[in-house]
Amino acid sequence: MSKKRKISLSEEELVLALRHREKIAVEALYDMYSASLFGVISRIINDTAVAEDVLQDTFVKIWNSFTTYSAEKGRLFTWMVNIARNLAIDKIRSKDFKNQGKNQELENNVTFIDERRNTVYKPELLGIKELVETLKPEQKSILDLVYFKGYTHVEAADELGVPLGTIKTRLRMAIVQLRKHFN
Amino acid sequence: MEEIKAYIESGILELYVLGDVTAQERAEVEAMALKHPAIKAELDEIEKALELYAEANAVEPADNQRDRVLNSLLTNLSDDRTFPSRATKAEDNIVPFESPKQTNFYKYAFAACLALLIVSIIALVNVYSNLKQSNTELAVLQSQNQHFSNRVSVMDHELSVFRDPSFKLLKLNGTAKSPSSALTVAWSPSKKKVMIDMANTNMPVNDKDHQYQLWALVGGKPVDLGVFDADTTSKDMKEMKEIASADAFAVTLEKRGGSPTPSLDQMMVLGKF
Repeated sequence: MSKKRKISLSEEELVLALRHREKIAVEALYDMYSASLFGVISRIINDTAVAEDVLQDTFVKIWNSFTTYSAEKGRLFTWMVNIARNLAIDKIRSKDFKNQGKNQELENNVTFIDERRNTVYKPELLGIKELVETLKPEQKSILDLVYFKGYTHVEAADELGVPLGTIKTRLRMAIVQLRKHFN
Repeated sequence: MEEIKAYIESGILELYVLGDVTAQERAEVEAMALKHPAIKAELDEIEKALELYAEANAVEPADNQRDRVLNSLLTNLSDDRTFPSRATKAEDNIVPFESPKQTNFYKYAFAACLALLIVSIIALVNVYSNLKQSNTELAVLQSQNQHFSNRVSVMDHELSVFRDPSFKLLKLNGTAKSPSSALTVAWSPSKKKVMIDMANTNMPVNDKDHQYQLWALVGGKPVDLGVFDADTTSKDMKEMKEIASADAFAVTLEKRGGSPTPSLDQMMVLGKF
């Protein structure tokens, strides 16, 4: 199970191999992106088993609709993360998941609500420590709401009680900070 | 240049990468990226930054998920390679729902019902005519049956005359006027019954205006015993008027209906005991 022979290809090679529907492309795709995608999915969906189902659905959808991806319009990961985020949001808005959520609410009321409120600031999920220092808290909260919680910027403005224009500016500044940081 | 800078700073490119734009905005961004390499480069930077941010926030899925996901993708890989266009041509496999068939079914069902109805009517008419014919035949048979039973009872009656010992048979012979004539009379003095055997008569056929009249001679006086017609078809025993005693019987030819007294010159047959 814990074979650590991860396959890595350049993005161009990967896209070409995926077009030719090669087995190695599937493995490389999973090894290169499953953790990043699962990071997004598991922040939207708290239930690990459900998040794992959505991860599988995400790869199935990527594999089956790969012909609709066009490299000129953007990076492969951007296309894939949008698929993952949309599937995850569809899942938590679906009827059966809402019913599950109610049960959870009755059993783990306090932790569930705490999780909801504090996800944005959860230190153990933040990964690299310096990132916390790189981003101002108001930049990070808006970025995480949109990127990791699947909010639209309009919903984020509502949630945070901030005007739309401010939201857009903060979002942009957050990403500018990220770019500086990674460069 | 100012315009491009303003566009970049509006924040629309970030929203585009995050998938948080309308279809119209998306088309606009893509058109701008094609036109202006600066915008394309900016988009690329944003994408890279977010990709790295996701990597920094990555959560490693459980080890068993790798096999699970890969198996679900690779199960049909060999099929996919044999038919590479399978995924895109999936809609070609949709079999249209054949709704017109439904209406055809009712059409045929109606025609079948109609044909059945016609056949039934023909059969009914046939059976009815057969029944009518049978009824007619039955009526004929019944009347024949009635006829025969009548005939049997008449014969039985006649037979009883010959069986009855009280009956005397007297053969009346022809007179000088009609020597060939003959008639048989059966008479039972105890029962006062007189009968003539039409089967054994040999009398000339009388015309419409005349009838034969049977007389009994009692002490020399004639007593009327009734009239009869002589024809070749009648074969019955004819019962005449009653009489208890007689010396002789005679038949005269009289006017139709009979006469109170016999015309002796018209005497045809005569028989004495």
